[in-house]
Amino acid sequence: MTPEEILEQLKQKFGDAITESEVKGVEVRLTVKPEQSWEVCRLVRDIGFEYLNCISGADWMTHLEVVYDLSSLQHPNKAHLRVPVDRDNPVVRTVTDIWRGANWHERECYDLFGVRFDGHPDLRRILLPEDWAGYPLRKDYTDERLVPYTDYGMEEKVAKAEGEKAAPKEARSLQPPTPTKPATA
Amino acid sequence: MEKPIPIGTTVVMERTGETMEEMYVNMGPQHPSTHGVLRLMLKLDGEYIIDCIPYIGYLHRCHEKIGENRNYTQIIPYTDRLDYLASMSMNFGYVLAVERLMGQKIPERAEYMRVILAELQRIASHLIWLGTFGLDLGNFTIFMYCFREREMVLDLFESVTGQRLNYSFYRIGGMPMDFPDTFLTDCQAFLAWFKPRLPEYDAIMTDNILFQKRVQGVGISPPQVAVEYGLSGPMLRACGIKWDLRRNEPYSIYDRFEFDIPVFDTCDVWARYMVRRREMEESVKIVEQALAQLPPGEVMAKMPKTIKPPAGQIYSRAESPRGEIGFYIVSDGSPKPYRYKVRSPAYVNLSALPEMLKGCLVADCVAVLGSVDIVLGEVDR
Repeated sequence: MTPEEILEQLKQKFGDAITESEVKGVEVRLTVKPEQSWEVCRLVRDIGFEYLNCISGADWMTHLEVVYDLSSLQHPNKAHLRVPVDRDNPVVRTVTDIWRGANWHERECYDLFGVRFDGHPDLRRILLPEDWAGYPLRKDYTDERLVPYTDYGMEEKVAKAEGEKAAPKEARSLQPPTPTKPATA
Repeated sequence: MEKPIPIGTTVVMERTGETMEEMYVNMGPQHPSTHGVLRLMLKLDGEYIIDCIPYIGYLHRCHEKIGENRNYTQIIPYTDRLDYLASMSMNFGYVLAVERLMGQKIPERAEYMRVILAELQRIASHLIWLGTFGLDLGNFTIFMYCFREREMVLDLFESVTGQRLNYSFYRIGGMPMDFPDTFLTDCQAFLAWFKPRLPEYDAIMTDNILFQKRVQGVGISPPQVAVEYGLSGPMLRACGIKWDLRRNEPYSIYDRFEFDIPVFDTCDVWARYMVRRREMEESVKIVEQALAQLPPGEVMAKMPKTIKPPAGQIYSRAESPRGEIGFYIVSDGSPKPYRYKVRSPAYVNLSALPEMLKGCLVADCVAVLGSVDIVLGEVDR
């Protein structure tokens, strides 16, 4: 079965629930409404994606997203499902009854993003202590111990080096550079 | 906080029908056979384990959060610390993910270097597993033998990278430097030494009747359960499923080599032992072929100074000694990833441990746990 056929089959059954879709190589990429995510997941499993690779979360500031990466041990196709959920009340139905391995993935997503999985048999924090406050992988999470990213002027240095390379040789004199010299040529 | 277990709860035991106090045994987090800091709550019915609850996270180091606050090159040393017994494979998986996201091609010679180092790393990782697994079961000799050979692999790595454990040697776009002149002869000398050692391990472990009795028929995970849980690597191949990403989804240049995928279908600790034992032979084959074919040339592609993959996302996977190491990266076109997630094989394999332990004797718990081959650095990230 080609990825296009798989997408067609999914669209026939859940045309309203699938808001975006794309085929990239052997991968079918879908965006699914959270209300019907469980039904879509079950159909995807029945089509032949019996192997759950990973469930991850992502914080897009406007909403959270639960991402399912699925594949099969029988054919080379892959599926990539994205389920946007509300940021203030993130609830999505669990898929532990479809793939048992989803248990720890969902616990991790709950732990780090605060997405609640409705019907999960054992929804507790898994990596962090039980009494931890907040969900660290959300973008607005703050901790004074976290060292934020800085590029140490790398962008500027690169631009300057490239500018100097582009400039003719004689322009590089032994005189100290004048402050008015632009950073990029 | 977790719920305290009510003391003195009486339950009817399923096996004998007796009414007795429910018994929990706490294994870890400071237990020598958990290979790190893992805590298992074992619920017992006499000598039999009826349930097991793993508690993890003692080694959580905020890998993903740090990754989202570093640029793509700065993440490489952090990936070493995921699976510290197979740093090369972790580096490999990560740089592969970024290169796939960028659509970057790397020079031939660098591809061969990557495969040679990753396969030597697989041998080293399986050796340390075999040694500590033997130690768990009370066989001290195999531990000394395995560590002797692993030391030689580490010496090879030291000659190439200058490091013995956390190499950080893979770069996005190739390798930072070529092999030293002595490497090819040293590596061949090691393989010549190592191949006759494998029958020695067989004499100590495989043919040992005590060892066989200890591991056969223990810790069963049927193929159905293995697929539902998403087990990968030797754990999956020990369930009779012939699945190896090096063969089924060839990345890098793995499609150029002849090697077998060892599969055993008894689904028990014995099968996992045999798969890993046979995989060492296959890795030797791959290294030999790669050394013979090693082309001359550059080892690093021409890369921009700051690495900015185009906006997009990718889930990329590779075969580490423990199974499928996956990296999910979302790029927004800036020098650091917007979302960076690691799917670690040992985390998923460990989640199926309760399933395997049910019905086992307490004494077999260590054997089953050892056969999963966990590295807590990777489980807790």
